[in-house]
Amino acid sequence: MNIRLDNLTVNFDDRFQLDEINWQLDDTQHWVITGTNGAGKSALAAILAGAGDIVSGSMSGIPAKVGLVSFEAQAELIERERKKDDADIMDVIAEGTPVHEILHEGDRNPALIQQLVTMFKLESLLERAFRKLSTGESRKVMLIRALASEPDLLILDEPFDGLDAHTLEMLQQYLLGLVETVPMILVLNRFDEFPDFITHIAYVDQGRLQHQIDRHDSQAYNELYHLLHLKTTELQVPPTDSDTALPPLDPTQPLVRLNKINVTYDGHRIIDSLDWTIEPNQHWQLSGPNGSGKTCLLSLITGDHPQCYVNDIFVFGFQRGNGESIWQIKQFIGYVSTALQWEYKVGTGLRNVIISGFYDSIGLYTKATDRQKQIADEWLALLGMSDRADTPFNKLSYGDQRLLLIARAMVKHPPLLILDEPCLGLDDMNRQLVLALIEKICAGSETSVLYVNHHAEDKIKGIDNYLALEKREPDSSK
Amino acid sequence: MSNNYFNTLPLREQLEQLGKCRFMSMDEFSDGVDALKGKKMVVIGCGAQGLNQGLNLRDSGLDVSYALREAAIAEKRQSWKNATENGFVVGTYQELIPTADVVLNLTPDKQHTPVVNAIMPLMKEGACLSYSHGFNIVEEGMKVREDLTVIMVAPKCPGSEVRAEYVRGFGVPTLIAVHEDNDPKGEGLALAKAYAVGTGGHKAGVLMSSFIAEVKSDLMGEQTILCGMLQTGSLLCFDKMVEEGIDPGYASKLIQYGWETITEALKYGGVTNMLDRLSNPAKIKAFDLAEEMKQIMRPLYNKHQDDIIDGTFSRTMMEDWANDDKNLLGWRAETAETAFEKTPAGDVEISEQEYFDNGILMVAMVKAGVELAFETMTAAGIIPDSAYYESLHETPLIANTIARKKLYEMNATISDTAEYGCYLYNHACLPLLADFMKDIKTDVIGKGLELDDTGVDNARLIEVNAALRSHPVEAIGSVLRGHMADMKKIV
Repeated sequence: MNIRLDNLTVNFDDRFQLDEINWQLDDTQHWVITGTNGAGKSALAAILAGAGDIVSGSMSGIPAKVGLVSFEAQAELIERERKKDDADIMDVIAEGTPVHEILHEGDRNPALIQQLVTMFKLESLLERAFRKLSTGESRKVMLIRALASEPDLLILDEPFDGLDAHTLEMLQQYLLGLVETVPMILVLNRFDEFPDFITHIAYVDQGRLQHQIDRHDSQAYNELYHLLHLKTTELQVPPTDSDTALPPLDPTQPLVRLNKINVTYDGHRIIDSLDWTIEPNQHWQLSGPNGSGKTCLLSLITGDHPQCYVNDIFVFGFQRGNGESIWQIKQFIGYVSTALQWEYKVGTGLRNVIISGFYDSIGLYTKATDRQKQIADEWLALLGMSDRADTPFNKLSYGDQRLLLIARAMVKHPPLLILDEPCLGLDDMNRQLVLALIEKICAGSETSVLYVNHHAEDKIKGIDNYLALEKREPDSSK
Repeated sequence: MSNNYFNTLPLREQLEQLGKCRFMSMDEFSDGVDALKGKKMVVIGCGAQGLNQGLNLRDSGLDVSYALREAAIAEKRQSWKNATENGFVVGTYQELIPTADVVLNLTPDKQHTPVVNAIMPLMKEGACLSYSHGFNIVEEGMKVREDLTVIMVAPKCPGSEVRAEYVRGFGVPTLIAVHEDNDPKGEGLALAKAYAVGTGGHKAGVLMSSFIAEVKSDLMGEQTILCGMLQTGSLLCFDKMVEEGIDPGYASKLIQYGWETITEALKYGGVTNMLDRLSNPAKIKAFDLAEEMKQIMRPLYNKHQDDIIDGTFSRTMMEDWANDDKNLLGWRAETAETAFEKTPAGDVEISEQEYFDNGILMVAMVKAGVELAFETMTAAGIIPDSAYYESLHETPLIANTIARKKLYEMNATISDTAEYGCYLYNHACLPLLADFMKDIKTDVIGKGLELDDTGVDNARLIEVNAALRSHPVEAIGSVLRGHMADMKKIV
């Protein structure tokens, strides 16, 4: 068996479409297809069993006997049985097709059916009408049908859902016995359900096969775990600590008001007479090419730029240069950037890195309260890193570090969250991880997000104000 | 020309002043920067300390501007650029000093006398003059106008670190002092504390000391263990390795980065931990070498301390100042010509542990230097806290500078005073250790012991471990590192 899908686009009754799938599987491999609900993972599995209409591209190498168990197939069979009932126009109570008939339909091995019925403890239900079974019982019937067909390729879409513990274990044992002879594709959305024999993982999102990962690539596996966790977890952005609440801001005042800002370096003007106001609850995207002054502009807001003292800057109730300290400004801002990540070269444990966000410090120099620790642990749970609370920050992968710094920035629920090119230097997987987290933040808090990216088209859901900077030519410096 | 202030004091007061040093607790800083709030702070000098301290103070909400000499402004020198590009108000002494409530003198030692003489007549009645080193007051006997308050705030790190740690939300250990002859309103301590808060120093720990204790211990530490011992050790170890046929690139790298690596262990756990990084036979070897060197070098450490205490050192150095730094510049040029300096570090991998294993002699030199400097300082009446900071605590900082820049640049980076003392030490110590070095082979520098059997005699190991752990620098070190660890959770 050597299945190839080349640039395959498949349509499902105009309800759903899988786009440009490129995928190769051979019979030494066992795959899991995973993704969020509605991502298209069941659709991808189903096309191997002949579902959908091919729009373009090609598919080859599908073996003759494909065994498929899925909720859709189960629903189809139940629907067929229900229609039989409807078709009965006589005034007779229709019992429907009994289980044993359903099991023996088509070309299946009777001895194997016998064996599986015993294993699944279905003996007492053989005479019952299929449509009268519970969901779990009918799922067992579907599994027996698929297994007894002695397929060349076995596709199981969420096979473990709705099974009791005993049956679950039994099924897993049985599958283990097939590992050497039958290539399998399992659709699963919980990482902890991935059987050990799985060799590859396909991640589907928005109708596309986004990632294909070798099980043994532990870093990619770990990143995928986090991505799926963030996409599927029902955990929300944790609350902040009421004991260290920020001073209240006047809601009628803008968060930031920059008035005719000028910044000059070595006689070269970086920013020329710029006005910008950020009102509470506005989300902004700031874009512009390298060297257009994006980071410079941000550092005027955060107080990190020395020329903030010679410009007309109003931030969080302070007109700059009147005896306020930068810590009074920074307490209202959460900040993430590549530069911060470079600066954050510490062996601090992950929990303490998150807590350091309460103090705007790199590293933690103050004893944390129990409440702060609890909040940090909630963030770790959201990120799927609960088991690594004391792992040193610098032992984390680059992408995980970025996620953690976003949590650090958000831990105090700042009125303004500045994300300076948060996806810079990240691969596609980690990019999606970071964006998933940001979307969760935008949806779940009252923080204004200021998102900085040099690609104006790289947008985040929920951001509707834009400021684009242009690169200034050296000549225009005067 | 000058009048040594320390020598004018009676012995009783000399001892009292030398013995001042106290680690302050965090709650002594609960007033924050209040004592300086709304006051006009004018910084003189915009080098690394001047600029970075000014940036911190301004970011703490204080009013900071820079007074520069007219020539520096007219010619747009680097100091003028540093200040203006960072958005500070810059003016001449005449323009800014009369408006200042606090004047921060952050110029090099050598300029203190002319600078203070120039600004004193311009200063407001009752204003405050701040130093970051007490040399001018203690060694040159500068008499400051009676109505002025004189304080010292000395961050114990290079200017760049002072800024970097502040930005992280922390600070660097800082020493403060009030010149008791000049505290007419009794506000010196409050101002010094607020200043330390403004630079972030209170978060990393503040030592309350005296001008005298600061000067006499600072000079001693920097010229012996910190700069002198590392310079002498570098030259001796390099020449020995090359003489014994070790690849010069390897030798150069082992030394350039070795000091930093082994003193990192010193920073975390004192001399004990540094030696515990060695195998048992190597530890005993290092211990024995250090004992031998301590015996040879003790008279030299005593001489340095004596010359510092009685003012001989500062007098001879000031003579060189008056002679256009002839000695200093000559010695600096010599350093550039040494074989170690001219041999770049080779492109070889040296693991962290290998720096210990193949650098037993270097470990022994650090141990001997730290203990001797500490013992000599405390014998001269400087209290252990102060002696610890000026010996063990600062050694890793200089080692770090050598790792980045080797000897010539290290010397150019440290103060002229430290550099001058470093050369004095080096010139005396090289011949002193000449005989000792004759018996040194690559087993203790370059190759390691290479033993098949690493067994040792139990009794001897117990003896060595006990001696290491019971040295007084270890006792005070564990207390002070404990304070630091309480505050600095990140390491």
